[in-house]
Amino acid sequence: MTGYILRRLIFSVPVLFGVSLITFILLNVVPGDPVVEMMGKHTDPVTLEKVRDQLGLNDPLYVQFGRFLWNAIRGDLGKSFKTGQPVTKMIMDTFPTTVKLALSSAFVAVVTGIAVGIISAVKQYSFFDHASMILALAGISAPIFWVAVVAQLVFGLHLKWLPISGYSSPKHMILPAVVLGVRFAASIARYTRSTFLDVIRQDYIKTARAKGLAERAVIFGHALKNALIPVVTVIGMQISGLLTGSLLTETIFAIPGLGRLSIWALSNRDFPLVQGIVLFTAVVFVIGNLLVDISYAFLDPRVRLQ
Amino acid sequence: MKRRVLAVLLVLSIVASVLSGCSRQTDQAKLQDGSGDKKGGVLNDYLESDPNGFDVQESTLLVMYTLARQLYSTLLRYKGNTLELEPELLAKMPEISPDGKTYTFELKKGIKFHDGITELVADDVKFTIERMLDPKGKGMSKWLFEPILGAKAFMEGKASTLEGFKKIDDYRFQIILEKPYAPFLHNLAVPAASIYSEKLVKAAGDNWRLNPIGTGPFKLKSYVPNTEIVLEKNPHYFEPGLPYLDGIHYRIVPDATTALMEFENGTLDVCLIPVNEYQRIKDSGKYEVLEGVALNTYYFIMNLSDPMWSDVRLRKAVAMAIDKEKLVEALYGPRGTVAKSFVTPGIPGAYESGTGPAYDYNPEEAKRLVKELGNVGKLQAWQRGGERLSDANVAIQAMLKEVGLDLEINIVESAAFSEARSKGKIPAAYGNWWADIPDPDNYLYTFFARTNQMSSGYNNEKVQDMLEQARNEVDSEKRKELYRKIEEIILREDVAVVPLFHIKSLLATQKNVKGIILHPTGINIYTYAYKE
Repeated sequence: MTGYILRRLIFSVPVLFGVSLITFILLNVVPGDPVVEMMGKHTDPVTLEKVRDQLGLNDPLYVQFGRFLWNAIRGDLGKSFKTGQPVTKMIMDTFPTTVKLALSSAFVAVVTGIAVGIISAVKQYSFFDHASMILALAGISAPIFWVAVVAQLVFGLHLKWLPISGYSSPKHMILPAVVLGVRFAASIARYTRSTFLDVIRQDYIKTARAKGLAERAVIFGHALKNALIPVVTVIGMQISGLLTGSLLTETIFAIPGLGRLSIWALSNRDFPLVQGIVLFTAVVFVIGNLLVDISYAFLDPRVRLQ
Repeated sequence: MKRRVLAVLLVLSIVASVLSGCSRQTDQAKLQDGSGDKKGGVLNDYLESDPNGFDVQESTLLVMYTLARQLYSTLLRYKGNTLELEPELLAKMPEISPDGKTYTFELKKGIKFHDGITELVADDVKFTIERMLDPKGKGMSKWLFEPILGAKAFMEGKASTLEGFKKIDDYRFQIILEKPYAPFLHNLAVPAASIYSEKLVKAAGDNWRLNPIGTGPFKLKSYVPNTEIVLEKNPHYFEPGLPYLDGIHYRIVPDATTALMEFENGTLDVCLIPVNEYQRIKDSGKYEVLEGVALNTYYFIMNLSDPMWSDVRLRKAVAMAIDKEKLVEALYGPRGTVAKSFVTPGIPGAYESGTGPAYDYNPEEAKRLVKELGNVGKLQAWQRGGERLSDANVAIQAMLKEVGLDLEINIVESAAFSEARSKGKIPAAYGNWWADIPDPDNYLYTFFARTNQMSSGYNNEKVQDMLEQARNEVDSEKRKELYRKIEEIILREDVAVVPLFHIKSLLATQKNVKGIILHPTGINIYTYAYKE
C-alpha cells in the first residue's frame, strides 16, 4: 500500500508541472495586463513600465516560469500583485471556509443521495421511486442560482427560519450546504439507484436470499458495498470539485471561499495568485483521486492496490 | 468494526469542523445598538466587494473611497450634498496667489489621529503627497498631485523631495504648482488624497494597509477579509459631537439580489436598489428612498483613429440614430435623464440640464447620411465583460440597424478591455464615466487630451490646445466659455462621443435611519447619520 501511494505521488509530479506550465502559458497569452489592472486608468506609460520591471514581468518568460517553479518547490507561491500578501496565506485563509462548505454539502448530498437511491432501487417502480427520480432530475436540471434565490426567499425572507446570507454561525451554513448539495445529491441518488439495480440482480444476491438471509442483511451486507464502488468514484470527483470552491454559491451567500478568490484573482490578472490557486487545485484533485482509489480497497477486498 | 469506527469518526469530524468554523461570533452581536433617545446606533451596511486593505492610495475602487471617507479626512471636502468645497482638516479655505500657482494652507490645530496621541502637522501632508508620488510605491492616484511643481522629477526618481511643497511651520504650508491648474482644490477633496500620519505609517510598515489610523469620524474595530468590516466611532474626532453613529457594520455581500433580500429582512439598514426593483420598493411605503444627483454620463464612444469610424458622417449618423429618450426610459426609467452634453449638468462650467450641443434623435437624417456613405460594411464595438450583450448594447444595435447600420458587438473580458483601452485599441464602446472631481477637465481632458485618451483616438489639435489652455485658466468665466466651445466641437463637429443619459443615485434605507448624505460624487457621508 505505501509503495502504491508513493508511486502515485511521484507520478503526480509531471501532472503538477504540466498544469503549472499550461496555466503560465495561458496567463501570458490571454489579453489583459496585470499592471494596468493594478495601477488604474490614470497611470502614465512610464510608471506602468517601471512597475512591470519591479514585478519582473519584463524578464523572459522562461525566467519567470523558472522562478515560479523554483519558489513553488520550496513552498513559496510568491506574493499577490494586488494585495502584496503571500499567495499561500491568501489561499489558506479561504480554503477552510470552502472545505466546510464542501464537506457540509457533501454530507447532505451523500446521506440523502445514497438513501434515496437505495430505497428507489429496492422499491423499483413504486410511487417513491418515480417521485424521487423526477425530483432528482429536477435537482440536476435546476440552475444553482435559481435554487439559491428560491431557498433564500422561502426559508430566509418569508419563513425567517434561516439567515439569508453570511458566514458567522452554523445556521448560516445550512442553506448554502443544502443548495450546493441538491445537484450533488440528485446525481448520487440516480447513480446509486442504477448500480444498485445491477447488483441486486447478481447471482450472489440470489444466493444470499436463497440461503434465507434477512432482506436487510442482503441489502446492507452484500449489495450495498458492491454497489457503492462506482458511486464512490462519482463522490470523490465531485468532492474534489467542491473543494476548489463554488463560485456561484459563495457569491450568492456571501461566503468568503476559494471560488470567489479565484475569480477575483483572474479578473485582476493577479498572476501569482492565479498560478498558486491552480497549482493548489491540482494538488487537491490529485490527492482526491488517490483517496478514492485507496477507498476501493476498503470497500472491496478483491481490489488490490499494486 | 474498524471501518464502522472510521465512518463514525469521519462523520464526527465533518460535523465538528462545520460547528467549530461557524461558532465565531461576529462583532455585530457585540456592538450594542445605541438607538433610543440619543442619536446613535450601529448602521448595518454592505459593500459589494472586499477592499483588500485600507490603503486608499492603493485603490480607486468605490468601496475603498466609501471606507476612506469614514476612516480618513482630506484637506477639503464638499459641503453637505453640494459641489461647494469647504475646509475639512484646514482652518480656512486656502489662499491662492493671483497667478494661480501658489496655494497657502493652514491646518486646524489639535487634530488627533485615531490613536488619540499623534497630532496632525504639515509634515504629514508632505509625507502623504510624496508617498502617493513615490516611484517605488503603489500610489494609484498620482494624477491628483501631478500638477505640483517638481512632481514629475520626483515620480521619475530624479528628486528626493517634492520641490513644490514648502513648509512654513507645523500648521502652515504652501503648495506651488508647475502651471496654474484650476481644478486643483477639487483634487484635494478626493478620498485618495486622504492625509496620513508620517509617524504612524512608518511605524506600521507593511501592516499599514490592514491597520489604518486616520483622522476620520470612524476607526477600524475589526476586519474579517471577504466577510465583514466593523468601524466604531472615533472618540477623538475633531468635530465635537460627531459622528452620531456608534459604529458601522459593513458586510461583504457581492450579490445585489441577496443584499436586497437582507435589506427587506431588516438585517441591512441601507441598500442600493436594483433598477427593476425601484418602483416596488418605493411603492411599498416601508422604506425611505433617497434620491440624489450623481456625476455621471453614459455614452457611446467611437475611436477616431480606427479607419472604420473615421468618417464624421458615419459618427453623426450614429449620434442621430440613437433614441436616447427611449433608451434611458427602458434602462433606468425615472432614474435617468437624457444627456445633451458630455459633462454632467450641475458641474460648474457645464451646460445646464436639458441644454447642450449633442445631436437630437433624427432617424431620417441618419438614414440620409448612411445612404450618402454607401456601403460601410460591418461596424465593430466592444462590451466590457458580461455573459451576454447588455440591454443597452442590444438596444443601440437595434437602433443603428433601423437606419441601416450593422453593428457587431464583441464581449471582451474586463482585464483585456482595460489593456486595449490603455493602448487605444477599442474600436467603439458603450460605457459610462463617473467623475472623480466635479470639473469639466475630469471628463474632457481624460477622454480627449493628447495623453490618457480612454481609446477615443481623438486628434483635433485645436481642441487639444484649448483643453490645455482651459485647465490652466484661472478666470472661471473664461474657463466656462472655453469648455462650452470645446464640447461643441467634440459633440457637433467631430462627433467623437455620443452622450446618452445621466442617472441619479438611489439608496433605500430603513425608516429609522436618518441623516445620510448622498453626495453627487457617489460617496455616501455617514458623519451626520443616526438611527432612531
